[in-house]
Amino acid sequence: MMQTLATWTRPAISRPLTTLGVIFLLTVVVFAAFSPWIAPYAPDQIDPANRLLPPGGAHLLGTDHFGRDTFSRLVYGARLALLIGIGVVGFALASGVPIGILSALYPALGRVLMRMVDVLMSFPSLLLALGLIVILGQGVFNAILAIGLIYLTTTARIVYGVALRLRAEPYVEAARSAGAGTWWIITRHILPNMISPLLVQASFVFAFAQLGAASLDFLGLGAPPDIPSWGNMLAESRIYITRASWLLLWPGLMIVLTAFSLNLVGDAIRDRMDPRFREMVGR
Amino acid sequence: MGRYFLRRTGAAIITLIAASIIIFGFIHLIPGDPIYVMLGDGATPEQVALLRNRMGLDEPLVVQYMIWAGNALQGDLGQSIFFDTPVTQVIKEGAETSILLATITMVWIILFGVPVGILSAIRQGTWIDQGLSGLAMLLASVPTFWVGLYLILIFAAGLGWFPSSGFPSIFEEGGLSNLRYLILPSLALAAPNAALILRLTRASMLDVAREDYVRTARAKGIRPYRVVLRHILRNALLAVVSAFGFTFAALISEAVVTETVFALPGIGRTVVQSILRRDYPVIQGVILVTVCLYLVINLLVDLSYRLLDPRVELE
Amino acid sequence: MKLRNLLGGIALAALMAAPVSAQTLRYATIGEPPSLDIQMGTATLASTIAQHMFESLYAFDEANAPQPYLATGETISDDGKTITITLREGVMFHNGDALDAEDVAASLNRWAEFGARGKLLGLVSAEATGDLEVKLTLEAANGAWKSILAYINGGPVIYPAEIVSAAAGEPIAAENFVGTGPYKFGELRPNRYVELLRFDEFTPNPDPSSGSSGERVANFEKLQFVPVPDVGTRVSGVQAGDYDYAEFISGDLYGLVRDDPATQVKISDAPIFGLMFMNSETGPLATNTKLRQAIMTALNMEQALQVSVGEPELFEASGSYFPEGNIWHTTAGTEAYNQGDPEKAKTLAAEAGYDGKPIKLLVSTNYKAHFDDASVFTRQLADAGINVQLVVVDWATLLQLRGQSAEWDMFMTHHGSVPDPVLLTVLNDSYPGWWKSDEKHELMAKFTGTSDLEARQAAWAELQALIYEQLPVVKVGNILSYDIASPDLKMQFGKAPVFPYFWGASK
Repeated sequence: MMQTLATWTRPAISRPLTTLGVIFLLTVVVFAAFSPWIAPYAPDQIDPANRLLPPGGAHLLGTDHFGRDTFSRLVYGARLALLIGIGVVGFALASGVPIGILSALYPALGRVLMRMVDVLMSFPSLLLALGLIVILGQGVFNAILAIGLIYLTTTARIVYGVALRLRAEPYVEAARSAGAGTWWIITRHILPNMISPLLVQASFVFAFAQLGAASLDFLGLGAPPDIPSWGNMLAESRIYITRASWLLLWPGLMIVLTAFSLNLVGDAIRDRMDPRFREMVGR
Repeated sequence: MGRYFLRRTGAAIITLIAASIIIFGFIHLIPGDPIYVMLGDGATPEQVALLRNRMGLDEPLVVQYMIWAGNALQGDLGQSIFFDTPVTQVIKEGAETSILLATITMVWIILFGVPVGILSAIRQGTWIDQGLSGLAMLLASVPTFWVGLYLILIFAAGLGWFPSSGFPSIFEEGGLSNLRYLILPSLALAAPNAALILRLTRASMLDVAREDYVRTARAKGIRPYRVVLRHILRNALLAVVSAFGFTFAALISEAVVTETVFALPGIGRTVVQSILRRDYPVIQGVILVTVCLYLVINLLVDLSYRLLDPRVELE
Repeated sequence: MKLRNLLGGIALAALMAAPVSAQTLRYATIGEPPSLDIQMGTATLASTIAQHMFESLYAFDEANAPQPYLATGETISDDGKTITITLREGVMFHNGDALDAEDVAASLNRWAEFGARGKLLGLVSAEATGDLEVKLTLEAANGAWKSILAYINGGPVIYPAEIVSAAAGEPIAAENFVGTGPYKFGELRPNRYVELLRFDEFTPNPDPSSGSSGERVANFEKLQFVPVPDVGTRVSGVQAGDYDYAEFISGDLYGLVRDDPATQVKISDAPIFGLMFMNSETGPLATNTKLRQAIMTALNMEQALQVSVGEPELFEASGSYFPEGNIWHTTAGTEAYNQGDPEKAKTLAAEAGYDGKPIKLLVSTNYKAHFDDASVFTRQLADAGINVQLVVVDWATLLQLRGQSAEWDMFMTHHGSVPDPVLLTVLNDSYPGWWKSDEKHELMAKFTGTSDLEARQAAWAELQALIYEQLPVVKVGNILSYDIASPDLKMQFGKAPVFPYFWGASK
């Protein structure tokens, strides 16, 4: 465990850009954790007399068409970004890991499960997410499910591939022939060796969840519009692009930088990874 | 090879059947009612019941599915509830835009992704490589709609170089010059996917470079650029070209957001609008067609890969 | 560098291949129209397009008074229940047949049975009593009958008898779009456009043009209605000359387009207004009038309009359901409007026994103004201690949910200008909200029971006062929507009508 932790931290220190990415991600976490103390205004405080103000003055990054403070909304938006990211990663791992490992260990079950994964993968991903949202209804939780389902498939595939290789390893074979139980093999041999591929996958899924959620928000099918998410801020400000183009700049930058930082971190971990698995994770 | 072909085709057909059941089932779980949207404000329950009956929406689900699937096999995807025209026609209207957009996007992706990926691989480990990898990652992190909006702001509204939106068919007034409508959208759409191809090109170049025959060639003293051209490039590009297929299929659906931003009459926007209008048959039809497209491309890529790549053994 | 040259070259080629034919009018619409069989639906866009193909017996003139159009005149029985209408001679349908009384009778009967607004008139039957004479029998005298016959939105437009009888309760299919108008159906290409073609054998009304009544002259060969959902795109399209006319431009862009020489602004001739309906059937608001009054008291409409419209020239915080100058204008009851008093609202809510239970406000994001208003109201009501829970759905879902009384306590919608109060949705007992108090029914009887204008006006004033007392609905305020057109387009109308028409227009 200590060793994985070390492989996780070392690349961040050796690459200046990745370090900046980590710092940015920490800022987002701080924003999310301490929004009420950092944000100078409540995110839904309207002030029609001061709508569409440019950056500067009492409103650091200006105001939107309700006269709400853009900076405050960005700070609160970090909460949703983290929620979506953690939710999607959690869903993808919690469903993809068991599916992948069980499929690798029980080939008969695996044929059925991986066939189902194939079916899901044959759907155009964004359309699949849109369809789910329409069935389930709009909401943060449903957005997480819809995006999570897309990454369930890729996660299951990767885990399946890694687990298949591990299963064929001599020491696992040996443990099996020595009569070790399935649970023992999974917890002692497979899962511990899977941590770095999963970390890489998690960071990429986290990054793409941001982009996916922003797309859904933009189409008006993501988080309810009264929730200050970065995607919603973009969707709402869209018609003001000629009049107040800065309204689209800030939330857009937050999304880009968050996704970029996560990709940098994921990439750094991958470069430190066991080369046998390196080609399996990614996009 | 024959058996392999049959097995792969069979698997694809099973996948398609499973997918079609999912598509059909999902759509009918959707809340909201197309009848209300069609009749508009102030429709009476009697009018609603009458129209629902006419559209066959009150048949049992299984019956509806059998009818739908049977017709689909004969190329009849039903009537659009909203347009009152065949779904195939609605898809056909969107297909020109979607295919042209995907094609032009592919051109950008290839023009940018492949050479830059090669450059990155040749200069592996240098600051050029790191810079380009960073750029690729940045491109992959940008929401296409956000780029699209700023492209419109700068190049359409500001400089006036390109139209801001819409796409008149190339078969109408203006002809091929109408393709200019697709320049900005295709650039926005190309960004993340070019990044993907860049990374893939780089990775497969490096993979091939590790192969024994390349090492042998190097050891024989063949000049580096000849090694790159003769041996690495040709083999590495095989993997990259096979990825073009998937990318193309993915572009059709990824274009949903881009088509919305640029008001393009493509398949993606049709789906979004059909979702809002509860036009079940159109949503079903489009997803079914995209799934088919994906499966067919997948199959073709798979089979041709087996045929072309000497290293993949045949069963 | 080469790439830039290439791009530049393409852009140049684009500029040179731009001209849009002067014979075609291109109209950028807010979306795709539903069925153009406008007897069956009330979608504004469908009416805008279809009015060029389908015509009605009466049409509104400049002063919004109904004038004979396909009709030439009428006689009414003393009890007001029998109306005999004579028809204009020699009117030709797009299929070459001449219009006769059978067509009119069949169209009216089908509309009365299945039409979106078919129940308004109380038509028992329409029968042909001569080649060019139709007899209408009504359940009761209806003071608004002529306006109802002239209102094409979900209204009784005239189709050939054989087509309406074949269609019955189903929408008429596109290939059977046959009317008497100056344009005939050309082609519908999903997500691309609806195209109408000039009907060369059109028989114009001999009277001089006034509003949509009188002579209609088709100067354009083709009318193309192109769906362009994004408002910014509609604006840049007109600026670039891609479209001649674009509808529904948002208030915040007004300053921009007004000062732009590449566009002319057409402000609407009649305001539309946002409405927030309250549930009179089930839920916490159903019987609690005091709580409704608390809500009304808390609302500051000025703020809501500022947010949803932005441009001060384009909105007016007015509680009257008909604007000043209109024959139906009255201020009765409007002292309850736009109070914005959270303290008083708090007191009222306490008196009403409000326990802090969330009140569900159903709203869609498809109309930005609905959502903007709802967000502002939520905040204002929170300040008055009234807890509103926004239920955000898309428009299609809203239309369905609002029919189920247990799903909502309030919902947002909007209403266009109508020629007669009888067309207001809140007066319809079966419209979601289901306002059917005894006081309302009493006043309604007074209102529809006579065709005397003054008596009807007085009854309407009492009705409006009752609306502000029982609050089945809350009016947000008047919004002047506006359209833009290219500077060369000359139109017959000065201000934009609810359904802009393009006979008499040229460029």
